[in-house]
Amino acid sequence: MPVAGRNEPLSQPLAIRRAATDLRRRDLLASMVAMCAMPMGLRSARAQPSALPVIGYLGSESPERYASRLGAFAEGLAETGYVEGRDLSMLFRWADGHYRQLPALAKELAAAGVTVLVAPGGAEVALAAKAATSTIPIVFELGGDPVALGLVNSLARPGGNMTGVTSLSVEVSRKRLEFMRELFPQAKLFAVAANPTSPTVKSQLTNLDAAAATLGVELRVLNANHSDAFEELFTATRDMGAGGLVFTSDPYFAYRSRRLAELAAQHGVATITQSRDFPLAGGLMSYGGDFLQSHRHTGIYAGRILKGEKPADLPVQRVTKVELFINLKAAQALGLSVPPALLSSADMVIE
Amino acid sequence: MVTRGPTAPRASLFTKYFLALFAAAVGPLLVAGGSEAWFGYRDQRDRLSDLLDSEARLAAFKIQYFLQGISDQLEWMVQLPWSAGADERRRLDGLRLLRQVQPVMSLRLVDGAGRERLSVSRIGLNRVESGDDYSDDPAVIGATAHGAWFGPVIFQGGSEPFMTVAVAGNRSATGVAIAEVNLKFIWEIISAIHVGRTGEAFVLDAPGRLVAHPDISLVLRADDASARPLQLLRSAIVARPGQAAAGRDTGGTAVMAAMAPIPMVEWSVIVKQPVAEAFGPIHAALWRTGILLVAGTFFAALLAYWLSQRMIGPIHQLEDGVARIGAGQFDHRIRLATGDELERLAGRFNRMAGELAVSQERSERIGRLRRFLAPQVAELIERSGDERVLDGRRVEVVAVFCDLRGFTAFSAQAQPETIISVLGAYYDAVERVIAMYEATLTSFSGDGIMALVNAPVACPDPAQRAVSMARAMQGCVQGLLVDWRAAGHELGFGVGLAMGPATVGRIGSEGRLDYTAVGHVVNLASRLCASAKDREILLDRTVARAVGGTVDLIELEARPLKGFTRHVPVFAIDTQRHEVLGDRASAVIGDRELQAGAAADSGGGTIR
Repeated sequence: MPVAGRNEPLSQPLAIRRAATDLRRRDLLASMVAMCAMPMGLRSARAQPSALPVIGYLGSESPERYASRLGAFAEGLAETGYVEGRDLSMLFRWADGHYRQLPALAKELAAAGVTVLVAPGGAEVALAAKAATSTIPIVFELGGDPVALGLVNSLARPGGNMTGVTSLSVEVSRKRLEFMRELFPQAKLFAVAANPTSPTVKSQLTNLDAAAATLGVELRVLNANHSDAFEELFTATRDMGAGGLVFTSDPYFAYRSRRLAELAAQHGVATITQSRDFPLAGGLMSYGGDFLQSHRHTGIYAGRILKGEKPADLPVQRVTKVELFINLKAAQALGLSVPPALLSSADMVIE
Repeated sequence: MVTRGPTAPRASLFTKYFLALFAAAVGPLLVAGGSEAWFGYRDQRDRLSDLLDSEARLAAFKIQYFLQGISDQLEWMVQLPWSAGADERRRLDGLRLLRQVQPVMSLRLVDGAGRERLSVSRIGLNRVESGDDYSDDPAVIGATAHGAWFGPVIFQGGSEPFMTVAVAGNRSATGVAIAEVNLKFIWEIISAIHVGRTGEAFVLDAPGRLVAHPDISLVLRADDASARPLQLLRSAIVARPGQAAAGRDTGGTAVMAAMAPIPMVEWSVIVKQPVAEAFGPIHAALWRTGILLVAGTFFAALLAYWLSQRMIGPIHQLEDGVARIGAGQFDHRIRLATGDELERLAGRFNRMAGELAVSQERSERIGRLRRFLAPQVAELIERSGDERVLDGRRVEVVAVFCDLRGFTAFSAQAQPETIISVLGAYYDAVERVIAMYEATLTSFSGDGIMALVNAPVACPDPAQRAVSMARAMQGCVQGLLVDWRAAGHELGFGVGLAMGPATVGRIGSEGRLDYTAVGHVVNLASRLCASAKDREILLDRTVARAVGGTVDLIELEARPLKGFTRHVPVFAIDTQRHEVLGDRASAVIGDRELQAGAAADSGGGTIR
C-alpha cells in the first residue's frame, strides 16, 4: 500500500498555532490594560491567575475531533475539584493528524514549564511526551500495554514520571475478527486495515494472525497511515472478495470514523472498527474500549497529580469496559442479517 | 484618713472571702462542664460505633448481594444437562450473560466429565467444544463439592483484582459454570458508602489484601506493604468485637473503624472515619464548653471579687469609723446601708459615738461649771441637764468677800515665786472651803476672792452657812498665816459678808464663762471685807439678824463705808468665843470631820 505523503497543507497547523499565539497575546494585552485601569489593591488579587497550575495538553488531532474526549477529560478534572480557568489553565498543542510533529509539540509544552503534561489519544502521543521530558509528570491515555511500550515499569508501580489509562482496544482486535466471522461464517478471507506507523501494530497483527489460525480464516493486511489512502482500503477489500474489513485499533483511524463510515457505505464493505463513532456515523459495527471513560480517568489522574500525588505511585488504570455497537441500518444496506449471537452481545444496537 | 493599725488583716480576710466565693462558683461549673464533656464524648463514641457498624454491615450485605447475584446468574447456565454435540443455545446464553453481567470478563462451561464445552470472553476468542480437561481445576472441584465456589483474589498483571466464581448444577450432568469476575466493579458499591464527609469503606480479603477501596489506585497498586495499616486496623477491630476501634489509615490519619464480615468469601468490609471528623462536633462542643468555662471562671472571679469587696468594704468602713471615733471624732457617722448585721453594727457604733459625744460635752460643761461652782453642785446641775438655774435673775444671796491684809506691801517686797506660792496655797485653802460649803466662787482678783451663797443653787439658811464658811476660811487661812509670819511676811486675813437681793447669772462668752452677782449687797460685802482687820469677820445687819440666835455677835460701831452715804451698822463675830473652833478648823482642814461639821452646819440642805 502506498504511504500517503503530506498532501494536507503543512502551513495549516502552523497557522492554527499562530492564531492561538495571537489569541494569547491579545488576552495578555487585554489583561495588562485591565490591570493598569485597576486600583492598586485589586491588582494582586487579579494577578493570581498567573500562579494557576498549567496543564499541557498534547493532542494528535484537532480540537474538533477531540471535542467529546475533551469533554470527558474536563469531567474527570472536575471530579477532583479542578475547573479550567478557575483552578488551572490549559495549554494546548495540536498535531492535527501529523503524528510526526508530536515530539516537537511535546517538547514545546515541556519547555513552556507546564505542571502536568497530558498525552491522550494513543501510544504515539505518549511516546512523544515521554521523549520530551523525564521530570514533568505525564498522564497518557492509550490502548495497549504501557509496559510493553516501555512507558512504565509495571501497571501497579509505574515508577517514572508517567502514569495513565489504558483501554482494551488493542487487545480486542481479534474479537473484531471474531465478530466479523460471526457475520460471515462462510467467508475464508478477511482484510485487515493497519497503520504501519502505529507502535502497537505489530502486536495487534500477531494477535490477529493467531486468531485467524484458530478461526481457520485467511487475513490480508492493508496498510494506511493517511486519510488519502482510506479509500483504497475499501476498494481493495471489495476487490479481493474478502468477507469484510477489520480495522486494527489505531487512533488515526478512530478519529476519522466518519470518513471511514462514508467510504464503507460508499463501497458496500462490511467493516468493523474500534470506535463507536463509526457505527454512529453509519458504519456497521465497532468493538473497543469506552474512550469517554478512559479520557475521564485521564482527567482524574491529571487532577490528582495537580494535588501533589506522584505519577510513580499512581497505578496505570485499565478501562475494562469493552463495548459492541451494531448499526442495523448499515447491515440492511449491506444486505446482511445479523445473527442473534451478535445482537444479544451488543451493548448498543442502532436501528 | 485615719491610719489603720500596722497589722491590718484586711487583705487576708479579703483573700479568704474571695477564695471561698470563687471556689463556690467555679467548683460546680467545672464539675458540670467536665462531666458534660465526658458523657458527650462517650455518647459520641457510642453513636459513632453504631453508625460505623451499621454502615459496614450494609456494605457487607451489598457486596454479598453483588457476589450472590453473579453466582445466581451462573446458576442459570447449569440447569440443563449437556447433550453430546455443540449447543448453540448455550452459546447464546453465555453471550447474553456476558452482556448482562458486566463484571464477568469470561465464562467457561464445563460438563459433568470436567471437559470444557464452551468459553466466551470479552477479550479473548470464544471457544466451543474445545474439550480441554478441567476436572482437576480447583474451581470445578470446589463447585462440585459445595455447589458454589469463590476463588482467591488474583491481581491480573500484578494490578487488577479478579476472582473466579464457580457454580455447579444440582446434578453432575449439568456441569460447572466458571466465571472470571472483575472485582473493580465492587468499587461502585464501596465508593457509594460515605460516613460523614470523608468517612469511607474498604474491603480486605482473608490474607489482608486490599480488594476494594474508594481510591481504586490503592487497590491497583496491589501492594501488601501499603495495605499494612489497614490490616492492623482490622486486627484492632477483631480484638475488640462490637466496638469501633481506633487506628491509622494508609495516609497515617487517625481513624475510628468498624468491620463486618462477608462470610462466603471470607472478606471483611471495614468502614472508617477520621477521628478529627468523627469527633468534630464533640470537639467543637468541648471547645465551646472550655470557652464557657474560662468565661465562667472569669465571671466567677469578678463576682467573687465584687462580693468580697462588698463584704470587706463595710468592715473596712466600720474599722475606719471606729478608728475616727477612737481618735475623738465623735461627730463621725459610719454610713452603711447593707441591711444586714453590719449595718446594725454600724448603727451601734454610731450610737456609741453619739453617747461619747454627749458624755464629752457633759464633761466639758461640768469643767466649765466647776470653775465657779462646787464640784458636787456642778455635778448636780450637769446631771439635771438644766442650766436654767444659771440664768440671770434676782435672788436673795449672801455675798462673801475675803482678802489678805498687807498683801500689797508683801507683793512689793517678796520674790515673784514666793508671791505665787503664797497665793497658790491661799487660793487652794479658800477654794476648798468654798467647795466644802457648796458656795459659788464668782471671782478671784489678786488676793481678793468673792463667793456667793444661795445662788445659783438655793440652800436653807444661807446666812448661817455663809457665816460657817467664813469662819472655816478664817480657820484655814490663819493656819497658813502662822507659817507665813514665821517666814517674815506680815500678812493678815479678813472676811466681809452681806445679805440681800442681787442680780445673779452667767456672764461671758463661750470660751470664758463666769457667774457673778451684781447689786448693793455685793458692794456692801466688799466694803465690809475691806474694813475688816486681820482675823475679823464683818457682817451686815441682815446677816447678823439671820444668825443672831446661833452665833455670838459683837455689834461694832456703825462706820462710814465708801459708796454709802450713811454710816453702815457692822457686826463682827465674837472671835474670842470662836477661837477654839477656828483653831480646830485650821488644824483639820480637809478632814472628814470638818466636812461632817459643814454638812451639819448646812443642815443637810439640798439644792432646790
